[in-house]
Amino acid sequence: MNRWLTRGDWLLLGAVALLLPGLYAVYWHGSGQGLEARVWVDGKPWARIDLFREQHLDVPGVLGVSHLEIGNGQVRFTDSPCQNRQCIHTGWLNEGGDVAACLPNRVSVQIMADDPRFDSINF
Amino acid sequence: MIRALPLVLVSVLLLTACSPRPPVYQEQLLTFGTLVDVTLWNVDEARGQQAVATLARDFDYMHDAWHAWHRGPLGRVNQLLPMGEWFSCPPSIVPLIRRSSELSRASGGLFNPAIGQLVRLWGFASDEPPKGPPPAPEAIRALLEKNPQMSDLELDGIQLRSRNPAVRLDFGAFAKGYAVDRAIEQLRELGIENAIVNAGGDLRAIGRHGERPWRVGIRHPRQPGMLAAVDIEGDESVFTSGDYERYFDYDGKRYQHIIDPRSGYPAEGLSSVTVFARQADVADAAATAITVAGPDVADWLPVARALGVTGVMLVDTAGRVQMTPSLRGRIYFDVEPKPEVRFSEPL
Repeated sequence: MNRWLTRGDWLLLGAVALLLPGLYAVYWHGSGQGLEARVWVDGKPWARIDLFREQHLDVPGVLGVSHLEIGNGQVRFTDSPCQNRQCIHTGWLNEGGDVAACLPNRVSVQIMADDPRFDSINF
Repeated sequence: MIRALPLVLVSVLLLTACSPRPPVYQEQLLTFGTLVDVTLWNVDEARGQQAVATLARDFDYMHDAWHAWHRGPLGRVNQLLPMGEWFSCPPSIVPLIRRSSELSRASGGLFNPAIGQLVRLWGFASDEPPKGPPPAPEAIRALLEKNPQMSDLELDGIQLRSRNPAVRLDFGAFAKGYAVDRAIEQLRELGIENAIVNAGGDLRAIGRHGERPWRVGIRHPRQPGMLAAVDIEGDESVFTSGDYERYFDYDGKRYQHIIDPRSGYPAEGLSSVTVFARQADVADAAATAITVAGPDVADWLPVARALGVTGVMLVDTAGRVQMTPSLRGRIYFDVEPKPEVRFSEPL
């Protein structure tokens, strides 16, 4: 055994090495890209979704079901019970702070990021 | 004894010290027929919630009062205007008429909120966009010949009448900007000096984000993601009008919701117009007037000057970008390859 480091030190360093990726993810991912999105229905928080887990989500709005596709750090509306389809035309969202909404169905989704590149988005 | 423990603890503390936790309060509201996003800096949660609740009440009230095709105060005004007699105008409408008349005059009539009948004829006076076909040319011509203008209105206190029975008010290109200005005023009255109020993509920002300016992304008109970024500090509005917002495609042609009051047909030639101005009502009206003026710099620059805006960026339907020199060094393109920019004469 090294005379400078005790067995406890080695255990601790091993634990730190295992924890590092987690700490990195928690404290250093603020590159502007969102890891999760929040979904609101009728002005109330409905779900938080992991943007890196591929999934399809049915969100019950006030008119019917809005369909979201999620994966690869992005989210988009693929269907909604509105006529103007503006939510679908918005396309993929991947920027921290960006938002899409189906106003008739009162469903909205916003990408959350600790330190987004933009404080607000103009369109 | 674990000798490395202090080192590990210090490292963990350093990591947490770097963690970005800016004191930002953000809340979304589904109001005013759009999504209103309020961002406040250095405001605690209780104060933020209280401020946003106040704004929500104001936006709901303004939406009901100023809606062009729902029942409400503006709907009643539009019913009474064709009579040609004096009537008591609801007080909530009076400042909109005064302010939009000034901006309409300054724009040379390219921003014209008196053409409510044309907007209705095209089917855009509806929560859902029309599907086409476009209206008959004779119907458009008949409305154009009546030449409704804001200058046809006479206002004496709250007494209002129209000398032209064809005037119908539609504040679609103005009410959002005016409402954003009222929201910023309200926040200042509540002692909040650093904020962004973003109503469906159009925003006014005051103050800054702590040690840095506010950073605003401008979404690409034709593809997912951002076209450009811009820093804002102090007090500035950024409004974008795009042909992708409300439109219908018919027979392979796109008809957008901004109607040219000179021809009676939807404006053509520009896919997006981004206007910078101190006040949001000016930015809103100017985005419409410049869209109507079209992509020729000889047409749009005089309108921008007359309305007193501080910056303009245009993207035409071929993807070419024009900009006023005031935006040089402020706009950072977020796309590759970077578009070639043609700069206009100064404002």
